[in-house]
Amino acid sequence: MDFDFDSDHIALEAGLDQLLAKYRGSLPVGSAAALQENPAIAASLRDAGYFDIEREMGATGAVMLIEAVAKLPYTLEVAASALVAPKLSKQPLRGPIALSQGSLATPTRFLPQAGSALMADGNQVRAMDLSGCKVEALTSQFAYSYGRCAAADITKAPVLPGVTVGQLQQWWQIGLAAEIVGAMHSAIDLTVEYVKNRRQFNRPLGSFQVIQHRLSECTVLLHAARLLTYKAAWSGEPTDAALAATYAQDAAVRVVYETHQFHGAIGLTLEYPLHYWTNRLRRLQGELGGASQQGSRAAQALWAA
Amino acid sequence: MDFKWTTEHDAYRQRIKDVLKKHLPADWAQKSLYDNGSDFTVAFSRTFCPILAQEGLLIPHWPKEYGGGGMDAFHHWILNEEMWAEGEPRAYQYMSINWVGPAFIKFGTEEQRKVHLKGITSGAISYCQGFSEPNAGSDLAALSTRAENTGSSYVINGSKIWTSAASFADYCILLVRTGLQGRGGITVLVVPMDTKGITVRVIPSLQGARAIHEVFFDNVEVPLSALLGEQDKGWGVVTQILSNERIGAPRYALTWRGFNRGIELLKQHGRFKDTDVQAAAARCQGALEAAKALALRVIDGRVKGKPADAETNVARYAAVMADRSVCEFLGNYVPDFIFAADEPMLASAYKRTASIGIAAGAAEVQLNLISRNLLKMPREE
Repeated sequence: MDFDFDSDHIALEAGLDQLLAKYRGSLPVGSAAALQENPAIAASLRDAGYFDIEREMGATGAVMLIEAVAKLPYTLEVAASALVAPKLSKQPLRGPIALSQGSLATPTRFLPQAGSALMADGNQVRAMDLSGCKVEALTSQFAYSYGRCAAADITKAPVLPGVTVGQLQQWWQIGLAAEIVGAMHSAIDLTVEYVKNRRQFNRPLGSFQVIQHRLSECTVLLHAARLLTYKAAWSGEPTDAALAATYAQDAAVRVVYETHQFHGAIGLTLEYPLHYWTNRLRRLQGELGGASQQGSRAAQALWAA
Repeated sequence: MDFKWTTEHDAYRQRIKDVLKKHLPADWAQKSLYDNGSDFTVAFSRTFCPILAQEGLLIPHWPKEYGGGGMDAFHHWILNEEMWAEGEPRAYQYMSINWVGPAFIKFGTEEQRKVHLKGITSGAISYCQGFSEPNAGSDLAALSTRAENTGSSYVINGSKIWTSAASFADYCILLVRTGLQGRGGITVLVVPMDTKGITVRVIPSLQGARAIHEVFFDNVEVPLSALLGEQDKGWGVVTQILSNERIGAPRYALTWRGFNRGIELLKQHGRFKDTDVQAAAARCQGALEAAKALALRVIDGRVKGKPADAETNVARYAAVMADRSVCEFLGNYVPDFIFAADEPMLASAYKRTASIGIAAGAAEVQLNLISRNLLKMPREE
């Protein structure tokens, strides 16, 4: 048992922290749109070799990257490119990468800008190059870009040899859990700072015990979800991945409610940054069928019903 | 990060399982009812603890110079997990091992160490913890049971409540007020429970036999040598005791066993096919896994010599959440098996899930500490 990162991972954490610092402090407040992409972040991460992190530092390294990026107020496809694809495909795929449960006709996250897609087909997984695929971009309020492609014929896409749908699900779940953990972290941090400074009834909101307790509970959920995610990355066990995703998706629902509750009306505006994480968490909450479906799948695997 | 036990840790756990298998009677479940205050378990513990001592499994984490194994806190935790999962066959002697002995090692006089460490390691002496009072529960430092130092003895008046094991313990590790209000005027006394003037009343409870008591002190006189540490400086001893406990008992161990038994029964009776039941089960499993990993992270910090921090409170609260989810699960899906008399382990696990938010301090105190020490929230102005 050792619950500390090794020196390589500590160095990775510090490197990411340094590289991403300037994007953390530059919240575009006042004129904020719901969707905030920033190609410069992807470029600087790619230039520094972070998208290849899985090969050098394993799933744990990739999860650290996903978590760090998810803390930012910008959306960026990194989970599929830095974790899922390297785990499943020996050939590098053109990024960004969209993940699909089988039909590109349903709204799919990151599809408009994606270079390729990894998708379930029966018990197989196919990797599809999307150049030449006519993607209909959807206007989404939910932080991510969504698109669909009704005409896509996935049967022409090559099957990844020896890769099962279970494996796709497993690494997708871990990436998803890491995204949720990062986003929850930022939403909680923002809210804790807010209630420390916001005064009502002649005292800081954060001095009210009801607020302290509920944000402390959110903190417990965050720490628990984070540890389950890193455990799943470490073990490579499908059930660990499913449990981490189940836990994180449940936690996301609670954290969204509480962080908004303590912000009051300002949290509902697009002029205040909370929505960057809210919108993502609300979308991630239902990915892959949501917590109940993941849980049911985990239970079937754990207890072979 | 590494979430795997070493082969040495695994072997240690196996050895404990073997010893339990060898020495627990075949009808342990029916007799003990997984209740560590039952007459049967308490009597059993008096022979079982010496057996553990012979096997080198009683005080593995104590320093070698005091007869311990000098092993790390993980060994101690593994031992506690295995014992807790069996309903604690050491009865309440686990307290002697976890914190009473270490308190004597740190604060005791030569004479006290001689008597008490020997009594603990031979399984002959058991203790109760005279901390909480009717008006000093979560706010422990508000205690008002008084002891007057007459120059030749302490004379104690007052009462304690919620005291586990008080009706069969040999000694009470008693917090008394010798000085002014607040943390500065508290003293720790080691009081033989058969001293004149002590009255014990069992409080019948949801938790099991003799789990909680009231203890009354009416002009109870003990010699000055009953003092543990220094007069008026007892809060330092308390802090040490509580930090030695730090994470408390691995309460999830029996909860987890009860939960597994619940799943087994659901499967046997074809009731595990419902996806609602499956999802609820996975949520429990996730909560239990999280509670365990967070607890082990605290133990890891202890092994590495890091000071205790708010992660301890996070872990404790996560354990409460796990117990709550299992309590809800069992109550929802296997009530028929709980209330039939033929599942003592399941019934006991279910019963105990009701107390986790209270045992060893209200869960809300953990939230206060997280809020103060981790989130740095402002105090009320």
